[in-house]
Amino acid sequence: MRHTLFSFCTAKFLRLFAAGLLGLGIAGTALADEPVNAKGAPNDFVSAVGNNALAAIKAEPAAKNGDLSKINQLVNQYVLPYVDLEKTTRLAAGRYWRQATPQQQKDLTEAFKGTLIRTYSGALSRVDNVSALTIAPFRGDANADDVVVRSTLSQRNGPPVGVDYRLEKTSDGWKIYDLNVEGIWLIQNYRNQFAEQISQNGIDGLIKALNARNNK
Amino acid sequence: MNIHNNMNLDTSSSKRKRMARCIPALAAAALAAGCASVPNPNPTDPLESYNRGMYAFNDKVDQVVFKPIAQGYETVTPKPVRTCIHNMFNNLADAWSSINSFLQGRAHDGINSMGRVLFNSTMGLGGCIDVASMNGSKRIVNDFGVTLGVWGFGPGPYIVFPFWGSTTLRDGTASLAGLAADASMYTPIFAIDNVPLRNSIIVLSLIDMRASLLSADKLVNDIALDKYSFIRDAYLQRRQALVEGSHATSRQSLPDYSSDDLPDYSDNGDAPTAPAKPAK
Repeated sequence: MRHTLFSFCTAKFLRLFAAGLLGLGIAGTALADEPVNAKGAPNDFVSAVGNNALAAIKAEPAAKNGDLSKINQLVNQYVLPYVDLEKTTRLAAGRYWRQATPQQQKDLTEAFKGTLIRTYSGALSRVDNVSALTIAPFRGDANADDVVVRSTLSQRNGPPVGVDYRLEKTSDGWKIYDLNVEGIWLIQNYRNQFAEQISQNGIDGLIKALNARNNK
Repeated sequence: MNIHNNMNLDTSSSKRKRMARCIPALAAAALAAGCASVPNPNPTDPLESYNRGMYAFNDKVDQVVFKPIAQGYETVTPKPVRTCIHNMFNNLADAWSSINSFLQGRAHDGINSMGRVLFNSTMGLGGCIDVASMNGSKRIVNDFGVTLGVWGFGPGPYIVFPFWGSTTLRDGTASLAGLAADASMYTPIFAIDNVPLRNSIIVLSLIDMRASLLSADKLVNDIALDKYSFIRDAYLQRRQALVEGSHATSRQSLPDYSSDDLPDYSDNGDAPTAPAKPAK
């Protein structure tokens, strides 16, 4: 009993110690692969996902020079696994989602993926060596299923960018489903565009238009 | 002192006259550009038909004139010089932001912005170096349109002004009234008596503004399905976030996507009914 208590305390101390080191700014440079715990605190989850992506971009000279195809690839690898693409697409489609066949829903999600990757990449396109992600202290109900984590991405070549993530608790842990860059929510910004396309050319028209943008 | 005041009056009244002369020309351009038919009118954008026309006109002018100038400026001007110029205009904007924060009753923001201006104007060599940001102080963007919003004025319809671009009835009125009354971030520039110098600085500020938007422009090209809608919705969201200030991501102001998950009773018999996953 005493032994387990001791090791528990040690583990806790080590974790605190590690967190302290991260706080000192060692994150991102050395730790390319911080373990992502999707079932932990939402703040830590976003911090791990964000710092991994940041570290990957910093380690890749082409990405750091703003090569978008490289950044897209890294975002696809480091961020997309933690994004609920289906939910993002479903909310952007709004009431039209229910009018789509399951196949159309699948195709639409796949077609929107390219745009989502480019959007997340856009937020990371000016990363440089001094770029750092600061996660704001979590405000809100820690037990909620739908939370917002606020962060600031600082960089040398420009003003710091405020990026907020909206997360939902799923059975697999936290999933990001919406992104806010400087006050602009992603889903909100696509709702009208989706509605316009669908009412003019139907859901297939929207899928086609999205795919055309992906192949550009 | 008197002479100086008179000159100020003269310049601002001649400015007003010049603006008055511009209005018929702008109205004609607007009429010529407007009148495209809108297949799916959007309730939040009652002027969409005119706006889309004006957007297309502005976009053309931008492609042919403003964007090439901004790109040329980026090519010929060394980066440190551009950064210095950009920071100096930001410093002027910060002073105006500070005043607006106080008008909005956001004293904390006002003091922050004022501190930035004082620090950058002295240690940052007249605003050339943004030492405040280097020390972790984030810029608080603010203007009189936001102030009116905080005072309770709604944005009104979205309007695309000729050459100017996105605005709303509230924000456009605030900007024009500010220029007419000589109360804007440009007030210190308008106070310069040397006319060629003053005009050069105004032109430089416009070029700097356009150049700073080049990367955003590229991103919009990459991700927008319909650039007009994308820019409109981004503009309206951004302005709303500025009016809400630090409460922008509090629970109440988060976008509520659930409203569209209510049953859809539209009489559309041939629409396939899919067993959609119910949203929370």
